[in-house]
Amino acid sequence: MNAICLFLVVLIPCAGGILVPLVPWKKRSHMMVYLEGVVILNSILVWTLLFHRPDEIFSLVDFTGNLTIAFQLDGLGTVFAGLVSFLWPLATLYAFEYMTKERHEKMFFMFYTITYGVTLGISLAENFLTMYCFYELLTLVTLPLVMHTMTREAILASRKYLYYSIGGAAFAFIGMIFVITYGDSISFVLGGVMNAAKLADGKNLFLLIYVFSFFGFGVKAAVCPFNSWLPQAGVAPTPVTALLHAVAVVKSGAFAIMRLTFYCFGAEFLRGTWAQYLLMAVVMFTIVYGCSMAVKETHLKRRLAYSTISNLSYILFGVLIMTPLGLVGALSHMVFHAFMKICSFFCAGAIMHQSERHYIHQLDGFARKMPKVFAIFTVSAFALIGVPGLCGFISKWNLATAAVGSGNILSYFGVAALLLSALLTAIYMLGIVVRAYFPAADFDYETIADVKDPNWKMLLPLFVFAVAIVGFGLCSEPFTNLFLAVAHGSF
Amino acid sequence: MLLPVTFPILAGMVLLLKKEFQKRSALLFYVGGVLVFTAAAALYAIFGIREGVTLFHLTKTLPVYFKLDAVGRYFSLTLVVVWVLAGFFSFEYMKHEKNEKRFFGFYLIVFGVLLGLDFAGNLITMYLFYELMTLTSMPFVLHTQTKESIMAGLRYLFFSFAGAYMALFGIYFISRYGTTLNFTQGGVIELSVLQEHSGLFLVVTFFMLLGFGVKAGMFPLHAWLPTAHPVAPGPASAVLSGIIVKGGVLAVIRVVYQLIGVSFLRGTWVQTAWIALTLVTVFMGSMLAFGEPVLKKRLAYSTVSQLSYILFGLAVMQPEAFSGALLHVSAHAFIKVALFLCASAIIYRTGATRVEELRGIGKGMPVTLWCYTIVSLGLIGIPPASGFASKWHLAMGALDSGIAVFSWLGPVVLLISALLTAGYLLPVTMQGFFPGEGFDASRFENKEPSYQMLVPLLVFAALTILIGLAPNPITDAFLAFAAQVM
Repeated sequence: MNAICLFLVVLIPCAGGILVPLVPWKKRSHMMVYLEGVVILNSILVWTLLFHRPDEIFSLVDFTGNLTIAFQLDGLGTVFAGLVSFLWPLATLYAFEYMTKERHEKMFFMFYTITYGVTLGISLAENFLTMYCFYELLTLVTLPLVMHTMTREAILASRKYLYYSIGGAAFAFIGMIFVITYGDSISFVLGGVMNAAKLADGKNLFLLIYVFSFFGFGVKAAVCPFNSWLPQAGVAPTPVTALLHAVAVVKSGAFAIMRLTFYCFGAEFLRGTWAQYLLMAVVMFTIVYGCSMAVKETHLKRRLAYSTISNLSYILFGVLIMTPLGLVGALSHMVFHAFMKICSFFCAGAIMHQSERHYIHQLDGFARKMPKVFAIFTVSAFALIGVPGLCGFISKWNLATAAVGSGNILSYFGVAALLLSALLTAIYMLGIVVRAYFPAADFDYETIADVKDPNWKMLLPLFVFAVAIVGFGLCSEPFTNLFLAVAHGSF
Repeated sequence: MLLPVTFPILAGMVLLLKKEFQKRSALLFYVGGVLVFTAAAALYAIFGIREGVTLFHLTKTLPVYFKLDAVGRYFSLTLVVVWVLAGFFSFEYMKHEKNEKRFFGFYLIVFGVLLGLDFAGNLITMYLFYELMTLTSMPFVLHTQTKESIMAGLRYLFFSFAGAYMALFGIYFISRYGTTLNFTQGGVIELSVLQEHSGLFLVVTFFMLLGFGVKAGMFPLHAWLPTAHPVAPGPASAVLSGIIVKGGVLAVIRVVYQLIGVSFLRGTWVQTAWIALTLVTVFMGSMLAFGEPVLKKRLAYSTVSQLSYILFGLAVMQPEAFSGALLHVSAHAFIKVALFLCASAIIYRTGATRVEELRGIGKGMPVTLWCYTIVSLGLIGIPPASGFASKWHLAMGALDSGIAVFSWLGPVVLLISALLTAGYLLPVTMQGFFPGEGFDASRFENKEPSYQMLVPLLVFAALTILIGLAPNPITDAFLAFAAQVM
């Protein structure tokens, strides 16, 4: 296909989103049809691109020298773009139903749709500069979404989000400058672009820069100690928390780190250095820390947010193994975790939408009143725990075998951290499930008599995700093959 | 071969999703039919099918693969006998519990899952069903939904998952270094590879033993068992304590004898530590049972102790002890299930739960108490009941093993524990039949349960005697098996 389509898929949602508040909609349903149409159309375009890949680069703007804003679709971008474009239409559908109870819908949907384009921009970026620009844009367009309810709490959360993200981006910027100066080009090339001759004298300095930019991008991926914005940002409406704070935004951070590690600095250069060990230790700590906080947390969405922190560090752990298999593990967890977590978040959202209950201790006996939602929540909980046969097991298996295969002693401890975290996951997820299905014997169902399953707009996305979780778990081979091809640069 | 695994799981799910039956008899007919059909299919698979079956591939290298060997056949046979009989017992018993449909739904699902566990032909299949076993058997513990049982259920979950993940840690390494994940006599990892990474593999094996040992109630991770088993409804405590704990034993056999290999482990610190842990557990379990006033809890502590008899036999890594341990698997299964069913029958008919309340019960429930007594003798190890033969082989094997200190310390601990076993089981019999002069046993009059409860009890008592009189087919089979793996 023509390479200009690469830019079109970024442009369409942005333009489509901006139109939302400008058009005087007669009925809410018209706006819904329009938005869903834009999003689905764009997703179809993305998927057509994925299957008919344009080989050439589309360059939009040429600044001086080799600085360009350019788009290209390579293996890694394929995975991320495919993931995002699959989830967005479903999330939009869910959002229509969810937002009936919130105000300022038009503003919400404008930014929600623009974010789609920006996220695709990150995944299709051909070089560091382009990715950086979209990365900054992502912060700015998602900020109003966090602030949406305009409560004091929301404003505080969004302020924190802004400071953390901008601060992180500043560190990433330092990394970009070094890559531009000491690399052969700023394009993404598997294996890295750093010029060996220029690197010879200051290896430790470069490693330090790598660590800085890792943490810079790591802010979005909520790596410890820069994680505290994520649970706070849970004040946003659930479609935001589910899609952006479990998939699009946070995985953009992880995605950027993959680019940085494998496509800029190069895994060869980094493997076995102190930078790898230091970061691996930090990530392992985050894995355990996130889960422990989740166990402690009693607010449903915040508990899931802490779980996200921990699971994102699974992905980063896979990256930091710095072998192709490690990248396979990271990619599979990136995709599979997206489905598991968006599924559990949407269930949480459905519960909040239908019952106005936000805390876990209020969920006694809910399974009888919302059987469909809780059946799906249970599936996602089992998947997050890593029960064999569901997709969580596969990605953890890929991560752990990569860690064991790398022969790096520290990564053995990483496996232990993964398993410890799986145990904690069992506690914080099944605690909810047990409560909902097995309330105390004297529990009075009258107190939740008005609670019932939501309508099809909420259930359909949930159902699709549940099927995907089981499907990926039983038939993961095509995906693992794809990831292997990506990691070896043959795709 | 897939049928007995999948059919009860599906049938159980259907039952859970279905609306309540109009009549109770329809529910029982459905459950009974599924149980009998599954048992028949399982028996056909056990005796008729030799080759393995691959169901599907989880990933390219991880097939879900079923194949029966001698150990798998033996475990699944025990399972089928117990599950069907305890199922019929529960038809009567569950009358006085709520949520019958849910109970029977999970009862069927767990049946299929356990058959899958026993039929598993490679490590990953076993792990799959091991996890499912934990998840699907948890509703038994939660069933009564009291605060106590919910706490016990969560504790059960926590310990089981902790164990499973310790084991999974090892599974990653075995899959990395092993030539295959299929169970292979003597191990799947080249000896040279093992020796090169010997420190690593010893640690990993130890983790796996501790991990799978959780299900078998091995010290130090035994604490869930005495809280979780007694809070379940009677027949469920029986199968939890008699059958599901054996899942841990089966997994340990697979790991030690068919994945890592005995030749590598013998004489290492792992073996020493393992034997020490099992002996501590044997002694501790018996002591705690001795001091426990509630009958079902006492039986649960007894399970802790008896399971470590089996693990001790496995840890000695000597053919005769191995065959003794395996004999004890079915002996203990039948005995412990019978004991729990007796306790449930008593609760069902009289509501008595504590041992001192059972004084004079033999006057009103003589058949029940006789069954209790016969199987108790088996557990203590008095000939001709089955426990004698298994303990004899365990002790002889240990004496013959030539391991310093433990070769004599082991049998001594077993004997002390047998004494304690007599001490905690027999008072019920003695006070039950001989309440003392002037004791008014009228409140137990005509409390004998119906035949639906008595028949399973009598069958278990008969089986206990039968195995005690003719243990040789089993021990011979496992001596032959041991010759292959050692």
